[in-house]
Amino acid sequence: MLAALVLMCIALFISNSDFLGASNIVNTTRQVSMLGIFAIGIAFVIITGGIDLSIGSVVGLTGVIIARLSSTQTGGLGYPLWVGITVALLCAVIVGVLQGLLITRLKLQPFIVTLGGMLLLRGVSQTIVEGGVISMGDSPLLNLSSGGLLHLGRDPLLGWPTVIFAGVAALGAYVLHYTVLGRYIYAIGGNRDAARYSGINVNRVELLTYVISAGTAGIAGVCYAAYIGQMSQQVGVAYELYAIAAAVLGGCSLRGGEGTIFGILIGASMMRVIDNGINMFQVQYTDPDGIRRIWRLNPNWNWIIVGAVILVAVILDQVVHMVQAARRLKEAGAPKPAVGPPGNGSSPPVAAKSPAA
Amino acid sequence: MSEPQSEKPLLLKMRGITKRFPGVVALQGVSLSLRAGEVLALMGENGAGKSTLMKILGGVQPPDEGEIEIDGKPVTFGGVKDSKASGIALIHQELMLAPNLDITSNIFLGNEGAKGGLFGPLNRPKMNARAAELIARVGLKMPVTTPVSRLTAGQMQMVEIAKALSVQARIIIMDEPTSSLASAESEQLFRIIRQLKSEGIGIIYISHRMQEVMDLSDRISVLRDGRYVGDLTRAEATHDKVVALMVGRELSNQYFPQKRERTSTEVMLEVNDLLVPGTPARASFTARKGEILGFAGLIGAGRTELMEAIFGVTPALSGHMKLDGKDYKPEQPRDAIEAGVYLAPEDRKRHGLVLPMSVAQNTSLPNVSSYSALGWLNRKTESEVAEEGVKRMRTKTPSIKQAVVNLSGGNQQKVVLAKWLAMQPKILILDEPTRGIDVGAKAEIYRHMADLADQGITILMVSSDMEETIGMSDRVVVMHERKLKGILERNELTQLAIADLMTGNPEAKGSLSPKANGESNVALS
Repeated sequence: MLAALVLMCIALFISNSDFLGASNIVNTTRQVSMLGIFAIGIAFVIITGGIDLSIGSVVGLTGVIIARLSSTQTGGLGYPLWVGITVALLCAVIVGVLQGLLITRLKLQPFIVTLGGMLLLRGVSQTIVEGGVISMGDSPLLNLSSGGLLHLGRDPLLGWPTVIFAGVAALGAYVLHYTVLGRYIYAIGGNRDAARYSGINVNRVELLTYVISAGTAGIAGVCYAAYIGQMSQQVGVAYELYAIAAAVLGGCSLRGGEGTIFGILIGASMMRVIDNGINMFQVQYTDPDGIRRIWRLNPNWNWIIVGAVILVAVILDQVVHMVQAARRLKEAGAPKPAVGPPGNGSSPPVAAKSPAA
Repeated sequence: MSEPQSEKPLLLKMRGITKRFPGVVALQGVSLSLRAGEVLALMGENGAGKSTLMKILGGVQPPDEGEIEIDGKPVTFGGVKDSKASGIALIHQELMLAPNLDITSNIFLGNEGAKGGLFGPLNRPKMNARAAELIARVGLKMPVTTPVSRLTAGQMQMVEIAKALSVQARIIIMDEPTSSLASAESEQLFRIIRQLKSEGIGIIYISHRMQEVMDLSDRISVLRDGRYVGDLTRAEATHDKVVALMVGRELSNQYFPQKRERTSTEVMLEVNDLLVPGTPARASFTARKGEILGFAGLIGAGRTELMEAIFGVTPALSGHMKLDGKDYKPEQPRDAIEAGVYLAPEDRKRHGLVLPMSVAQNTSLPNVSSYSALGWLNRKTESEVAEEGVKRMRTKTPSIKQAVVNLSGGNQQKVVLAKWLAMQPKILILDEPTRGIDVGAKAEIYRHMADLADQGITILMVSSDMEETIGMSDRVVVMHERKLKGILERNELTQLAIADLMTGNPEAKGSLSPKANGESNVALS
């Protein structure tokens, strides 16, 4: 997948040198970062074998709460920015806790619980903005999106969203790959019964993954609020699907037990580079009249291409798995009967010298 | 050969353990004891309560009554953790490992030894080093970072034992550890068991394989129908004594229909050298027209696999079958159904019925295309056929529109039977036809089976219920360790004869000689 990503970037750069231009790089990196933040969160849930469909709505809700509480424009209540952000993040965490409790204590299916959450929270957002738009005006929040470290001319090379993403990724990688909690998350996804029989508190670990998922969606929501600047109920629609796609492209299995933070990073980059590439890709040619023209992708193909890439990726993955499984079966099946001494369970069919003989 | 067991300290004592499940008493006042360095074999038929007892000891389920003492001190287990803390390790028959994790992670799962709770960091170098020591102790030579999904069943077993050793378990329970092992792997396991024993670890060993039990154990405890029925020391145990303890109940015959003399010699199904995937030996037998042919054996003896091959679920690798004189080679269930061979599977709820659908819809399911024209379903015919099925089987249901999930187990089984009877079967395969069905409904199912046989339908009946096998079958095929062990004629059908064959007793009556194994269709028909 990493190779595919690199190839794609090289192809895009060759077709259009603006792809690696400063403004496009900054923009794409920011997009990758904001998606990556909550894709990492949902990966925790997916690795346990669960799913969280509500995170797009959590992204929207967070932004809307900030706008409502802290905007000085029409519709805003004008509280300090930190109040808005704190309340918004707290709400995100509470959403995670409530959904997690429903899933682990009432044994409801994650798909249904988070589908309900997705619709309900979307409605809450809509109610908060009263169906309209609340602008953040020139709130200092906007600096969160435009500012950053290592300025490259007007734009920062490392925008704050990217810094936050790096932090989330580092923390995520640490927890998932180097702590007890991470080990439990993989164990639950791999064999839930084995985890339970090993004395692991499966409910608590699962609950935590839903809190992490909603929490990272909240953090991403703050970034999106800063980036977009005016909040309506439309912000974050279908983002959960982007995150799931990024996780799957990054090597997570929806059956659970598989996936890495590095993979998510690649997956999120793929999603955004494809998006960006559809706008950037061009082929220069000279038409029969000798006039130089530029051929571009039809922007209406956006979803077709995104969908096709996801399907091709999972098909390839599955084919590889099936080939490996078939090979293992062959290896396991062929030599076995010859191994054991006769008179036991595995004697070869021809020389059936069973104890009954 | 070793010091007298009675001088070693008592590790474990269970007294008066009772466990009830809705409708059944799984355990009734069972007692058990284990000394340090002792291998105690726990034996009993399927459903005798062995697994339940071990789940209680492993903290998976709490007992309803009774006491457990460890080192003479009473303990209560609130969960798996408590049992582990007392030094008990339970190795399940279906191994409890996470296939996506490596050996080290599995060994220390739930016991990472990290400070700081859930967010504590894993000390991988240290864990890997300890894991390497542990797997060396059980004779496993491979990198500890190998994912468990790449291991063989035997190697996984060793990882489970290493996991038990990692928590300094002093009592290790093994539930049918050799059921999925090749013989070389079993030998390795036995060596390790003997080594653990010499280190003073107490082992409770559950197995159906008499030979292993005789070789390994110091003492044998037998359970029957949820009760403790006796202990035998290694010195006094013989194959016959153990079997007698295991099955020693009176055969209650009253609810089996009177067996009619079925003299038909017309062969309905001829199976020759059939090689079923996953089994080591070829199977050959014949089934006559209008006969109930029983298949006895312990769970995992390969009976279900054989039936699935005959029904085309997993096609046979080689060999051939003849149905009613014609070649019969099912590649998928559709082929079998078209030829008139139907299967009522062991797991009714998973493979036999679509639970939320109605009685009528379930009855018509395999044949729904014949009630329809141009894709339009003729509900009237469907209803008529379903009504007839309900009447014929005397299924208790308020209407044919009732969802089968709301019917009792016995009535569900009747719907399965009605579904196939609507299609004029030649052969009906019934895998555990009365599992989970109460006594009254059982008698009815038995009567229907006898009626069907009288009408000339051949019934292949897989049953783990000894009374049922003897009470219903005209002849019985006995399987052991995925091989056909013998065929008992009607006048040879006794519990002892069947139990002998299915536990692999070499001197059992009705055994197939190696010669007969080769020319089986002569010897067996």
